[in-house]
Order: sequence, then C-alpha cells, then structure tokens
Amino acid sequence: MTPLVPILVVPAAAGLLCLLLRSQRAMELANVLAFAVTLMLSVLLLPAVLQAPYVVTECNEFFRADALSVWMALLISAVSLGSSLYAGRYFQRDLAARAVTPGRVKEFYVLTPLFSAGMFLVVLANNLGVMWFALEATALSSVLLVAIYNRSTSLEAAWKYVILGSLGLALALFGTVFTYAAAIDQRSAAGLPSFNWSHLMSMAGQLDPRMIKLAFVFVLVGYGTKAGLAPMHNWLPDAHSEAPSPTSAMLSGVSLKVALYALVRFHILTTASLGSSFSQTLLLVFGLGSMCVAAPFILVQSNLKRLLAYSSLEHMGLICAGIGLNSPITIFGALLHMGYHALTKPVLFFAAGNIHQTCHTLQLRRIGPGMARVLPLTALCLGLAGAAAVGLPPFGLFFSEVTVLSGGFASGHTAATVLLLAAILASFCGILYQLTRILPGEPKVARSSDAAPLDGVPAMALMLGALLVFSVWLPAPLLEVMRQAARIIGGAP
Amino acid sequence: MNTALAILLQTLLLLALAPLISGCIKTLKAKLQNRRGPRVWQPYLDLLKFLRKDMVISEHASWVFRVMPHALLLSTLLAGLMMPLVSVSAPLSLFGGVLAFVGLLALGRFFLALGGLDPASAFGGMGSSREMAIAAIAEPALMLAIFTVAIKAGSTNLSQMLLAAQAPTWQLLNPAHVLAFAALFIVLLAETGRIPVDNPATHLELTMIHEAMILEYSGRYLALIEWSASVKQLVLMALLVNLFFPLGIATDLNAGAVGLSLLWFVAKLLVLSALVVLVETTNAKLRLFRVPDLLSAAFILATLALLSTFLFQ
Amino acid sequence: MKPPNPEFASQWITLLAAGMLVVQLLMVVQRMLLTNIRLFALQSLMLAGIAVIIAFSHASATHVYWVAGLTLVGKVFVLPWLLSRQVRRIQMEHEIAPLLNASASMLLCGAFTLLGYIVARPFTSLARLGNNTLGVAVTLLLTGFFLMVNRRKALTQVLALLTVENGVMLAAVALTTYGMPLVVELGIFFDLMVAVMVLGLLVYRIRETFSSMDVSKLSQLRG
Repeated sequence: MTPLVPILVVPAAAGLLCLLLRSQRAMELANVLAFAVTLMLSVLLLPAVLQAPYVVTECNEFFRADALSVWMALLISAVSLGSSLYAGRYFQRDLAARAVTPGRVKEFYVLTPLFSAGMFLVVLANNLGVMWFALEATALSSVLLVAIYNRSTSLEAAWKYVILGSLGLALALFGTVFTYAAAIDQRSAAGLPSFNWSHLMSMAGQLDPRMIKLAFVFVLVGYGTKAGLAPMHNWLPDAHSEAPSPTSAMLSGVSLKVALYALVRFHILTTASLGSSFSQTLLLVFGLGSMCVAAPFILVQSNLKRLLAYSSLEHMGLICAGIGLNSPITIFGALLHMGYHALTKPVLFFAAGNIHQTCHTLQLRRIGPGMARVLPLTALCLGLAGAAAVGLPPFGLFFSEVTVLSGGFASGHTAATVLLLAAILASFCGILYQLTRILPGEPKVARSSDAAPLDGVPAMALMLGALLVFSVWLPAPLLEVMRQAARIIGGAP
Repeated sequence: MNTALAILLQTLLLLALAPLISGCIKTLKAKLQNRRGPRVWQPYLDLLKFLRKDMVISEHASWVFRVMPHALLLSTLLAGLMMPLVSVSAPLSLFGGVLAFVGLLALGRFFLALGGLDPASAFGGMGSSREMAIAAIAEPALMLAIFTVAIKAGSTNLSQMLLAAQAPTWQLLNPAHVLAFAALFIVLLAETGRIPVDNPATHLELTMIHEAMILEYSGRYLALIEWSASVKQLVLMALLVNLFFPLGIATDLNAGAVGLSLLWFVAKLLVLSALVVLVETTNAKLRLFRVPDLLSAAFILATLALLSTFLFQ
Repeated sequence: MKPPNPEFASQWITLLAAGMLVVQLLMVVQRMLLTNIRLFALQSLMLAGIAVIIAFSHASATHVYWVAGLTLVGKVFVLPWLLSRQVRRIQMEHEIAPLLNASASMLLCGAFTLLGYIVARPFTSLARLGNNTLGVAVTLLLTGFFLMVNRRKALTQVLALLTVENGVMLAAVALTTYGMPLVVELGIFFDLMVAVMVLGLLVYRIRETFSSMDVSKLSQLRG
C-alpha cells in the first residue's frame, strides 16, 4: 500500500471530522495532526520515487506520483502544517476581537483540510479530467475561505476570485477536452484511450499538432488565471489580501504553484508532441509579463498584504519564466525557487496577520514606523523573511534566483534574462523600502500589543528555521528529487 | 398556357384571395380572445362599401395623393405576379428575380409614405417617418434571409428557388432554413403591421403606423389601399409558405394539379395565419423605440442563417 | 434498434446546435432574470438532446446516455430551480441597463459567431459526428464572456458562466465522439453543482452587505 491514497484521505477525513467537532482546540488539533501525518507520508514517498521505475502508481494508474508530484506534495504539506500551526492563536484573537463568529472559524477548520486535499489530488492524479476537477474543488473551497470575514471588501474579493477563477477553469476544461480529442483520433481498436497523462505522453508524437497547439493556448489562459499570471491576475491582490492570514499563506504559498503544476504538465505534453519551442516561448512571455506588471505595483503599494500578494505574482512570474527558458539549469532553479518561496511567503503573511490584529489596519502609512518596538519577535521574523523574499543571501531565494539568471545568460536568452533581473531589482527596492517604513524607528501612535508576545511565533520560527537550514544544506534525497523533476519538465521521460 | 392568361388568372387570384385571408386572421383572433368576431367574408363587404362611397380630399393634397393608391396596388400586384402561388412557374419573371420582388414592395411603401406626407397632416407625417424607420431595418433582414435561400438554390429566380427547395423532407432541419424562416416571420409581422410591431385595430392615432399614413384617405382610394395591404400580406405569406414548405405545389399546368395545389396553398396559408394570430394574441405591442431591437434580432437571425450556410458543412 | 442514418443524426445535431446559439443570443438581449434562467434550461435541454442523438448513433457509447441524463436532471431542472429560488428570495427580477444596448450587443455577437467559425474551421474537416458544431461551441464561449462583462447583476454573471460551461460540454460532445470518460463527466457535473451553490451563497451575502446585486458596486479594491 503506497502512501498515495492516505495522503488524500487523511486531510479530507480531518476536514469532515471538524464538521462534528465543537471546540476550537479540538479542530485545531485535528488539522495540525492531519497535516503532520501528510508531511510524514510525503517524505515517505521520496525513496520510492528515487529508484526505478521512478514512479509510484496506485489504483490501476489512476493516481500517479513522479518526482515532480512528490516535490509539490512536500511543499503543500509543509505550508499547510505551518498555516494550521499559526491559525490557532490567530483565530482566538479574532474571536476575542469579534471579527469572526465561531461558525466561520469552524468553516475555516473544515474547508482548509479539504482545500489541501484538493491540492494533493491535483498533484497525484494521473487523469487530466480529475486534475481539472481537483483544481475546481480547491478553487471553490478557497473562495469560501476568502469570504470568511463579512466585510464588503472580502465579498468583493471573493466574487472577483470566483468569477475569474471559474472562467479560467472553464477555458482550461476546453483545452483539456481538445487534448483528449487529439488523443481520440489515434485510438486503438481496443476502445477508448485513457485520459491519463502518462498514456498521453506515451503517444505524444501521434497527436494532432494543431489541436495540441490550440489546446495549450486555452490551458495557458485557463490555468494561468488560477496561477496568477498576468494579464489574468486581477483577482490575486484582492483575494490574497482579504483572506485571513493562514489562508493567504496557503494561497500564495502553494495554490498558485499547484495551478502552475497543472499548466506545466500540459507544457510537457505539448513540447513532447510538437517538438518545437511553442509552449516554452509562451510560458516565458507570460512569466516575464507577470514580473513586469508586478514591479510598479510593488513600488507604489500602500497596503501591506497587497504588497505581499504582488510579490507572489512576481515570484510566480520568475518560476514560470524559469521553466520557459527551458535549460536544465533554469528549470532546476525554478523548482528550487518554488520550494524556498513556499517556505518564505507564509512567514510574511503570518507577520502581516499579527500586525493587522495589533494595529487594526493594513495601510502602511497608518501602521507607521516602529513595529520593531511594538512586536519585536514578529518584526524580527518579518525582517528576516522580507530579506529572504527580495533575494538576499544567505537565504535560499538568492541561490535560486542566481541559478535562473545564470542559466538564462548561459542559454543565450540575454534580453529576457536582463528583463528578469530588472524586475527582481525593482521588487527588491520596493519591498525593502516598504519594510523600512514600518519596522524601525519610534512608534508614532502609542500601541499596546494586547497579544501575548509569542503569538504565532512558533509557526514563523519553524518555517524560517526550515528555510535557513535548507538554504545552506539540501539533503541528498531532496536534491535528487528536484533534479528528477527538472528532467521530467525538460522532456526526459 | 400563354403568359397573358397566366398573368390575368394570377391577378384575379391575388385580388380574390387577399381579403379572405385578412378576414380569416381577424376572425381567428377574435375566436382566440373568446369573442365571436366578424364574418370571414366581411373584408369583401367593407371593400364594396368603400368603393361606393364619396371621397373627401384635402385641399392641400397634390397629384401624389391621387396617384398613390394606384401605384401601390400596381406595384404590389406586380410583386405578387412574380411569386409562384399555385404553380412552380410564376407568370412574370423580371430581371433580378427576388431583388426585383423586394424592390417592387419597397416602391409601394415609398408611395405609401409620400401619400401620408402629401396632405400635410401631422399624423400622416408621423406615420410615414415611423414606417420608414421600421423599413430601414426590416428590409436588410428580409434581403439577407432571402439571400440565404437563394444561395442554397443557386439563383435569385423565385421559381428556381422553389424548385431547389423541393428536396427530401429533412432539409427542413437545415439550420439555415430554420433561422431564415424565423427572421422572415419577424419581418412579416413588421411589414404587415401586426402586433408586436403595430396594432392593426387601433384607433389611437399616436400609436398608429400604417393607419396614420392613410388617415386622410376615403372612399375608392381607401378601398384600393386596403386591398393593396391585403395583397401585400398575402404575397409575403406566400413567400414564407412556398419557399420553405413547397408541399403540394403543381409542377405541370393541368387544371386538376392546379386545383389541388390551390387547396394546399390555402391550407398552408391558414396554418401560417394561425401562427400569426397566436403571436399577436400572446404578445403586447412593443413600445416604438423597442421595435428596432426586435428587428435587429431579425437581422441577426438572418445573418446567422447566412453564416450557417458556411458554418455547418 | 439499429442506429439511424448518420446523415439524419448529423442534421438533427446541427439544428440543435444552431438552436443553442440562438438561445444564447436571446439571453444576451433579454433583461428579465427569470426568463434568462428558463432560456438557460432550454439551452441545456438542447445539449442533452445532442448527447442522446450521439449515444443513439454509436452502439458502443452507452455512457453518453448517462451524460445526457445528468445534463437533463442537473442543468434543466435542478440548477434553474436553485437559481430561480435565489432570484425570488432576493426579489430582484430585473436587470439593470447593460453597458451595450441590445442592437449593439447583437451585432457584436454576430461578429463573435464569425470569429468562432474561423477558429473552428481547421478542425471541421475531421470525419466525426457533430464535428461541425465546434464553431458553435467557441461562439458560446465568446458570447458567454461578453454576457459576463456586459451585465451588472451578479446572478446574470453566474448564468453567463453556466452558458460557457455549456459551450465546453458541446465542444466535448462534438470533438470526442464517445464523450469523455464517465468519471470525468461525473466529476465535472458535481463540480458545477457545488460551484453554483457556492456562487448562490456569495450572491446572497453580497445582497445582504451591499443591498443590491449590482456588481459595479464592488469596486473598492484598487491598485
């Protein structure tokens, strides 16, 4: 019995269990336990994937985990665990401040594991249709999570998110249908071809190129909307800033990457079928576009969480461009970046959550300087994570960005790489500037932090610690899994 | 059968049948509204009454006023002569086929509008401008829908189009035909002044379109104009039934075939009349600035019909 | 029963697809919400009809009957019932003036039909039953988007989304002769149900907070 099915069942069961539980403590415990278990199960998958046949399948190839899937599963479980660790105190304080009702908190504890289970299903499903279904399930559960607060801005954000997301998914379904239609042309006498990705990859050379091209365009726009690629990114700043901080962390930390994963599966199929650089060019263009769109918004941002959301947009653009540059080094760098970003962004959102609950505002000029005095530990984590996010050494994001850039220059895409560098520099300046506005100095407004100073710090410290550790030392299995995944994306079977 | 005889017979048929169809529609509408309604041959009696009455003509009227009824009847009859009613070959075949057909109807409408403007009465001018506004959108729809059928048939000659339409029955399912029929039906409602475009039984001048133009007419001229309106209605309905459902139409010209074809023709006209009455009874008259919306719908349906000939291959 | 003449089946499928297109155009200009919901039900009925004809014509495609059944039950009865109940609860049965008026909308949709045809043209030469309806599917997609942008009531945007899904289903039925695997169809169907419920919930909350379903009021978040 492989760990595949338990990885899916455990969070789903935890979510349904929380429907029956009554105390918040119990629900919090259920969530944390479930995610700890899934993290262990994902780690257990590692050795299975690193030896021949390099793939773990279950249920007659319905579920399939290769190196890329396992990498994503690790990220999902890590971020989910961090979020659920942070969520406990966060919601306790919100309940005390009457910002949410107990019913809504219960909604959070029910929907978050279901959200996670959906994401796991996306990365572990072999069937393209099931992948789509799982993405839609994550979209729907996260919409309700975004709308937990009953503010008018939350509802607006949730509405934009659901409409744009559903539209995007409808387009992606169209593209998926096209892909299946291309396969059905080549059906053998044995009946219907399977909708499995692995099966499609094996017959990639025989698929009709025109259909595959059109399919990829639809899938790019569709899954690209869910991944937050510009120009379909309008929902991103709203949804990520209006959601409660644990959800924002999960949204920015993994759900964007899971949507990109789905897109990358199609990218691999398209490249194998067409043999040309059609999909790579498109990915590069959209990635660069996202980074260029994000840069000005970061520089002139006035809302803390929106700033972090635009930073996510920029990082996703970098990952997408890294995959689009299509040299082994850049793809490896993109995967590395995925991992480090997944560990960094949640910490930023947790810190922002703490600041929001203390200052009751997210406007940077109203938060004012001096957060380091008011919330010392939070400010420390914010500062460190901020430095990580802009790409300062010794944090891992520096190494991953350097990898992508050097790979870009080495493979000859000089113009694109220069543009990448410019965007990275712009966001570097923007984020550091905004952080210096709120962290150092004397607090203008006298604020008493009515929260215990250790609120949320364990979660932040854990993730920062993991980030630091993995920045300087990548254990061999992780390294090998990433190399394998890069090889899969680059086209090797 | 030589052409002159055919022309004469078709003219007589048009003149005789038109008031009957008008009467059927009125009676059917009354029955549907739970009234008894007038006798089916009442329009004939009305025409006789008008023909015997004196005319009162405004002193501001010019020669246009006197010429208009004759021009209207003549152009409508000519258009009707081009239409195959009971036999496949129409008596008259002018250059341009269906284009000439539409042109003749437009000529009639042109004179009608002038006749409304000529006596310088306020309501007449109002009716004329409204009629022209409706025609501006109805006519392109009409032409596009007819072109769809013409393209399928490969000719603009109405007789040719009829022959080409006599394909196996499931040609009826062709979306181009269905959409063209829908568009033409809406245009029929607009051109014959039926609800939801115009209420033929209204006596409120501000809601009139067709009646406003003929308010100043009386006596013999009024008879000719009402007759022309009935003939135009008959001709357009014949266009709809014969082009899209050419069942039972006579291919050779012996008396028996023509007689049978006449019966089929009247039956089809009655079915179409029932449909028109149904639409009239279940809808309210549209406010005037909404009529272009309805006609744009007809236009788009006609465009879709035309596109369908290429869209579905 | 032996399968009917494929020519006959193809004619019926073409006619139903054209019907779906006309219904979509009617939805673009229609302003009463309840009528729009009924038009959507009609469109889904035609889609179910197409699925039935395809299932009928291919002896080995019995699971397409399930798809037709699901579409019938779900999209023709359940979803419209849910949406109508929502409209009645909120008591806002009229649409507000759209961005583009009826005539201009119609013309734009005519242009979309042409565009849909052009996009689908390279694929219509494939010898498959119903392959000529791909143009209609793409047009449904485009006009669905337009409907979403043009209207300001939240529920109409939900309807527009559902018509886009109809277009995708039509493409699925048109392109993949035997339809997609049943498990995928089931998954998509249940997703749609849950999506409509979530959307309905959100619409209700929006109505409670903003006292209106006017989506143009949702414009506080900028930058």
